[in-house]
Amino acid sequence: MIEIPDLVAGGLAAGTLSALALGGGLLHARRQLSRQRAESDALRRQLDEATRAFTSEIEHLASRRLPAAARALAHPHVVVPGPLAPETTGTPLGRALDGVLQGLRVELAAQHVRVDAAAQAGMRGATREIQAALYRLQDALRGLQQQYDDPELAHTLFQLDHENEQSLRRAQVAAVVCGAWVGLAREESHLVDAVTGGQARLAGYRRVAVHHHLRPGTALVSHAVEPVAIITAELLDNALRHSSPDTEVLVSLEHVHHGVCVTVDDAGVGMTSDERERAQRLVAGREPILLTDLGDPPRMGLAAIGQLTRQFDLSVDVSTISPYGGVRAVLLVAEHLLSRIDPTERPPAASAPRSTRETVSERYAVDTAPPTGPADGRTPQTPVGDPPDAPAHTYGAEPPGNGAPRVPAHAAPGTGVRGVPEHDSAYDSAPDDALDTGGLPRRRRRTPAATGQEPAPRPAAPQAAAPHRAEQAAAALGALQSATAAARAAGGAAHTPNDSDHTDHEGGAAR
Amino acid sequence: MTGRPGGRPLVPAYLATGGAARHPRLRLERLSLLRRSDRAVPDGLPPAHLALLDELAEGALTAVEAAALLRLPFSAVRVLAGELVDQDLLVARAPIPPAERFDPDLLKRVADGLRALKH
Repeated sequence: MIEIPDLVAGGLAAGTLSALALGGGLLHARRQLSRQRAESDALRRQLDEATRAFTSEIEHLASRRLPAAARALAHPHVVVPGPLAPETTGTPLGRALDGVLQGLRVELAAQHVRVDAAAQAGMRGATREIQAALYRLQDALRGLQQQYDDPELAHTLFQLDHENEQSLRRAQVAAVVCGAWVGLAREESHLVDAVTGGQARLAGYRRVAVHHHLRPGTALVSHAVEPVAIITAELLDNALRHSSPDTEVLVSLEHVHHGVCVTVDDAGVGMTSDERERAQRLVAGREPILLTDLGDPPRMGLAAIGQLTRQFDLSVDVSTISPYGGVRAVLLVAEHLLSRIDPTERPPAASAPRSTRETVSERYAVDTAPPTGPADGRTPQTPVGDPPDAPAHTYGAEPPGNGAPRVPAHAAPGTGVRGVPEHDSAYDSAPDDALDTGGLPRRRRRTPAATGQEPAPRPAAPQAAAPHRAEQAAAALGALQSATAAARAAGGAAHTPNDSDHTDHEGGAAR
Repeated sequence: MTGRPGGRPLVPAYLATGGAARHPRLRLERLSLLRRSDRAVPDGLPPAHLALLDELAEGALTAVEAAALLRLPFSAVRVLAGELVDQDLLVARAPIPPAERFDPDLLKRVADGLRALKH
């Protein structure tokens, strides 16, 4: 009997124990659950926070950093703000965000270049057409200048020609900035002509004083002529624009070791160091040009110089301060772009300044010619100055002295080039011997013949006779040569148009 | 006559005269004869003026010939010559007009007029 209550008791005890155990476990589990709940709540809060932070970081990127980064491409002084939370920098998120900015920058820059190239192409096409039209207009205006004498009309034509030159310069510079070719092929020309030509393209050309210290005949190879004219015009334009209207702009042409230097000095306001740095960067032409960088209205001059210096191997320096307080711009034309033109055969333009190196031979002739006039009894010119019936006659009669030597030059047929110098040297030999020019170039003219007599002793009679004799000798030689030539021509020697062209030209120069 | 066969001239004509094409006093025609005077050339003369004097150093020329040699239009040479004449460096003479027969009508009208005055 006892066993049963024992069993019961045992069972109860076991039940109680297990109940206790279970209860404890339950309690434990409940406690754990609440702890976990609290933990997960904390985590969720953290997650929400992180999401919020991430979102606001993205919002910050979109509203602040991206626009700033885009703007900074055009305006380098714009500061791109960092992430909202400074500790993001360097984290994967921070790096990813920076990646977004970088991608934007690259794409924007590429877009910028593409758009600019399209704009340049459009402008190039337009300016090219305008330039061609202006050249046609120039031809028409110069034709009219030759044709009409009326002073009022001629004055207007000169004005129009000048206006046209200025428009032409602008169109040409715009085209060059947009990467076009200079638009005009020129033949080998005197350097001073290129500089004077550039000067003529400006409104204030009267304020420019060109000092020409080059050896006469210093010329530019054909493809460098127009670029040098454009660069000179733009440098002068800058100088004129930034100096007061009552000051002069000085240009000097000088030989340097590696070629020739064109120096432009103005007495203007000068540039700040920032401006000077920018100008120097532009004219160096190392960076590609973007129209959007040129400002509004675009300042094309320096950019055009940059394009040309790069294409034609010229060099321009604007980094020096002029001794007159303004800017000193120096264009260096290297030796390989230089050549020589015989100034007697093809003299520079009449309005191009004289070389100071010409003084010895050339100006000597000019200065001394008038005194010799009366001294040798006014031999060559007397008849012209005489009573009224004389001029028609003497002027008609002068050519035998003047023109006879020219006839063979025209007629010298087969001999072509050789014929002329031979003749000229015969003609000129006496004065050349008499007056030693020290190897300086000199024109082949009759003037030296008169001056050649100058250093000779001054007995009146022989001196008066001398020019006569020289002329007679020349005339006799000329007659002989022309007779030979005529005979040859009659004999069927070919008279090519090329020959006549050449001699025409030669005749014009040597007369 | 502008420039050489090779291409358009680099230096435009208006540069020779500083843009002027009129001269207040001198009436120069294409065939007017230009001759240098005996005055010495002063310093500081503009290059185009010097060039014209150079061309005339060899003797007289008509204005249009000088223009051709200088490769300038005649109107520019007219201004140059005018300025040089003002400085007594140049002498200009009008061209000799071609001989013409007198207009009998005109003579008759002049004679009539004179007769009318006398009465």
